[in-house]
Amino acid sequence: MEEGFEIEAQALAQVLDELDYFQILKVGQAGSPNDIKAAYYRESRAYHPDRFYQMSNVELKEAIGKIYKRINEAYVCLRDDTKRMKYLADILSPDRQKKLRFIEASEQEMKKEKEQEVGATPQGRKFFMAGLSDLAAQRFASAERNFKMALTYEPNNPNFKAKRDEAAKLVKSDMSIR
Amino acid sequence: MAEPGDIAIGIDLGTSYSCVSLFEAGQPVVIPNEWGERTHASVVSFLEDGTVLVGNSAKRNIITNADNTVYSAKRLIGRFYFSDEVKKAQAVMPYKIIEGENNSVRIQIRDNVFSLPEISALVLKEMKAIVENYLGHEVKKAVVTVPAYFNDNQRQATKDAGRIAGLDVLRILNEPTAAALAYGFGKDITQKIAVYDLGGGTFDISILEIGKDVFEVLSTAGDTYLGGDDFDDRIMTWLAESFLKAHGIDLRLNKYCLQMLKEASERAKIDVGRDGMAKISVEGICQDPTGKVMDLNAKLSEVEFNKMVMDLVQRTFKVCDEALQGARMTAQDLDAVILVGGPTRLPIIRTSVRHYFGKDVMAGIDPDEVVAMGAAIQASSLLDSKSEHYLLDVTPLTLRVGTVGGYTDKIIDKNTPIPIERSKSYTTNRDGQEKVKIRVYQGESNKASECELLGEFEFSGFRIGYRGEVRIEVTFEIDPNGIVNVTAADVETGQKTSCTIRLSSGLTEEMIKTAQDKNAKTTLARGEAAA
Repeated sequence: MEEGFEIEAQALAQVLDELDYFQILKVGQAGSPNDIKAAYYRESRAYHPDRFYQMSNVELKEAIGKIYKRINEAYVCLRDDTKRMKYLADILSPDRQKKLRFIEASEQEMKKEKEQEVGATPQGRKFFMAGLSDLAAQRFASAERNFKMALTYEPNNPNFKAKRDEAAKLVKSDMSIR
Repeated sequence: MAEPGDIAIGIDLGTSYSCVSLFEAGQPVVIPNEWGERTHASVVSFLEDGTVLVGNSAKRNIITNADNTVYSAKRLIGRFYFSDEVKKAQAVMPYKIIEGENNSVRIQIRDNVFSLPEISALVLKEMKAIVENYLGHEVKKAVVTVPAYFNDNQRQATKDAGRIAGLDVLRILNEPTAAALAYGFGKDITQKIAVYDLGGGTFDISILEIGKDVFEVLSTAGDTYLGGDDFDDRIMTWLAESFLKAHGIDLRLNKYCLQMLKEASERAKIDVGRDGMAKISVEGICQDPTGKVMDLNAKLSEVEFNKMVMDLVQRTFKVCDEALQGARMTAQDLDAVILVGGPTRLPIIRTSVRHYFGKDVMAGIDPDEVVAMGAAIQASSLLDSKSEHYLLDVTPLTLRVGTVGGYTDKIIDKNTPIPIERSKSYTTNRDGQEKVKIRVYQGESNKASECELLGEFEFSGFRIGYRGEVRIEVTFEIDPNGIVNVTAADVETGQKTSCTIRLSSGLTEEMIKTAQDKNAKTTLARGEAAA
């Protein structure tokens, strides 16, 4: 083991809860997926518990175990583009301290956002999707009807409303041409 | 050089065959037994004189000493008595499978009752003895492999088996990961590979990215109910049905005939794979009602055989689809495909795999030995602090906790790198609540009934307060063996109670101790070289 490693590992284990995932992997917030993978390999090389399997210093072993689990946690979040975007927004917000670990609340929010995008009910989703393909095929009146139907299942879905309004506008402009 | 006491072996504990390897002079070497056999049937035969015969000589006893000879124990390890796999085994296995405490499975041999880990421990004892005989001194440490898709119960039970055999189990290692390690070790290559591992009783596929010193598992998927045995079963059904049609006798109704049939089917599978044709001939398989001795004679062509098993082969590719999806890849992204497990010698598998992945499979890898070799590399590297390569493995199944109404919540996703941990906060449900109960599951359904129950934990010893006032943080950890640990702490006082997931049907420390003594006192019979 290199000299200073023990001190460094113990210190890192101490401040783990104050670092965000980019700091844990020692990679910039703008790092590319390749940068993240390279950083993960680099940190694994340094802290993989298998390297310290035979070490008798139990305290240090525990510290390394703690660090490495956090390295894996960081990698799981940052290698996924959607999670990473959400996480980055979280740690740049005033709530940063509370959101340093990718928590359940963030996952719930992500799920909700996705549901709002395409619908939370099967029927709502069905009509919404039908509306989208109508839009793509320039059948604006049919699209508007489908979005209205989708809204009867999910009256408060902001994305449905926006699409209905968009379709309604297109219907009007469509008529004016004819 | 390592001290004699500091040697660790790699053991591939297979459903049908096991293999043991040792890292020597910078290379993993498969250690043969005294007759030069390199793989050993995972068969345990309890002899009249109290000794136990393990390996290829024991295999012959499946017919001659059927009641007292246990095979395919791996299909049962870590399963509940009520599971389908156990019911299926009861119908075909000649040995007696009984119910133990808390839905556990036990095997009865004469007046003795054994747990599954005790049976596997006897196979491990033989593997250990083979190396000790070769080295001339004792071996205490080992890495033991399991199918990547094994759940926590099965991993725990395998680890218990190692302990019962008197081994310090350094690591429970996934079989495809071990194979990839043996393939890439010392090669300085950068590749994305698939390991297609069809064993006797299980199927695994892992997608890995390997570099000079790193082996990263990107995803893994599997089916612990699919293996070479199922191919044998197809031949067996065909033989039995034809015999029934011709002579009006169902060979499957007699356990003795059934074993002869099973043996003939396995041989036919191997012959048809090697020669494109199998001649099946079993003299005196049964007697007709008048007492006349009857023979079984049949011919199996490769075309017929392929037809029989095509759906099984297709099933493996559904699992491959899942693994590729998990790795966010298509077959075109892969640089190499490695085949592991005896059944992958079959031309039908090799052709189908080539077709599915669109590339030739890697030549020069022994599908029977590569897993044990990988285990030996890992065993030696865990003892060597200067070892340079490292494995980044994943958990194969989603970890869940039970919620109200028979549903579950995800805690840790499948294909998450391990070790990892995740905490979840709970509050008490009523005033003065003294205990919280958490049920932990593994599986891909949000319905509890469709997942595997790992255990139920009761935590107590924290503050007593009003409903909703006491906050308890439960931490779920998956360790490098893929084994789950759970701890709970009172958030305010920091008071901790912890327990490793111990399945209610698993073995207690006391039972393991007793089993260790029993195992140590058991004498391994020495058979003879296979004919």
